[in-house]
Amino acid sequence: MFKYMKTLNYPVNIKKKDLKMARYLLTQFGGANSELAASLRYFSQKFSMPDEKGKALLNDIATEELGHVEMIATMVKQLTEGASPEEMKNAGLGDIYSEHGMGLYPTNASGSPFTATYFAVTGDVLADLSEDMAAEQKARAVYENLINLSTDKDVIGPLLFLRQREIIHFNRFNELYNYYKKKGY
Amino acid sequence: MLFENNDFDFDLLSLSGLNLDTSQMIYNNQNYFNDMNSNKLYSSKEGFLRGNMWVNEYVPYKGMNYMNLVPTCEREALLYKIMEVDFAINDLNLYLDLHPEDYEVYNQFKKYVTECIRLKDDYSKKYGPLSLEETTKEKYNWLNNPWPWDKTGGSMYV
Repeated sequence: MFKYMKTLNYPVNIKKKDLKMARYLLTQFGGANSELAASLRYFSQKFSMPDEKGKALLNDIATEELGHVEMIATMVKQLTEGASPEEMKNAGLGDIYSEHGMGLYPTNASGSPFTATYFAVTGDVLADLSEDMAAEQKARAVYENLINLSTDKDVIGPLLFLRQREIIHFNRFNELYNYYKKKGY
Repeated sequence: MLFENNDFDFDLLSLSGLNLDTSQMIYNNQNYFNDMNSNKLYSSKEGFLRGNMWVNEYVPYKGMNYMNLVPTCEREALLYKIMEVDFAINDLNLYLDLHPEDYEVYNQFKKYVTECIRLKDDYSKKYGPLSLEETTKEKYNWLNNPWPWDKTGGSMYV
């Protein structure tokens, strides 16, 4: 089960409205390499991990990633705070606004809704962990692109934190992959 | 370099005029690593700011420095401290999942767990609950604003 703790994983305190950046960031909420995809992928895969190390690691990274979903959603919310429909339209968020208003809806940067096809579950421990390692690298690359697109330190700070988490998760998955490989899976 | 002159100043101690009973404890927290391999792990604060407790796994992007966190009030300072220790627990947790036999790291993990319980208890008594289990006041206050995603005049948790 899950219990909520009333803090973010890392502080998000964005003061400057930036709708274009919000649009770009949306992809880490509902895109193919998003935190939501990562969290649900690991959550689903934990059920077919063969031993206690795999079960624990997949469970605990899935939990952490759900906290990252909340961080990204918070960033999008704060970047769009107080925006008018006109401003949303000018920032390329008109289509999203027409269907979802100022509500947060998981899509990628070009508006495609989140889909379960973003997370692969094969039931094969080596295939799943290879997928997870690739996902962490892709998410790291996306964070670097997002950092390149921003000039606001209040946006870049949390993105640098999230980028480093992808590196750590990759390293842990890699370690688990090698451990299972050695065990003959 | 985007973020320069980081000076780790979100300790309660750095806020002038404060004299909290937690200050000494928080200050002492910085000495946790004197008795272990200090090259292996960052302090909880250094790790939290970097997004990583492990010295040899930190890979800064294009030489950018991490953001400096400056609390605007005593409440925010205590909250950052809780987030910091909670982060350390989480990062050591992932490592311990793969290395449960590493007692050096596990002992460090346990220190952070004890620290976190103490800090959360202190916070909930002063400012309200962060977990449902801490919702014990006469009046039900779990629902009270702010929630973590709220922005209140540019500064949350105030």
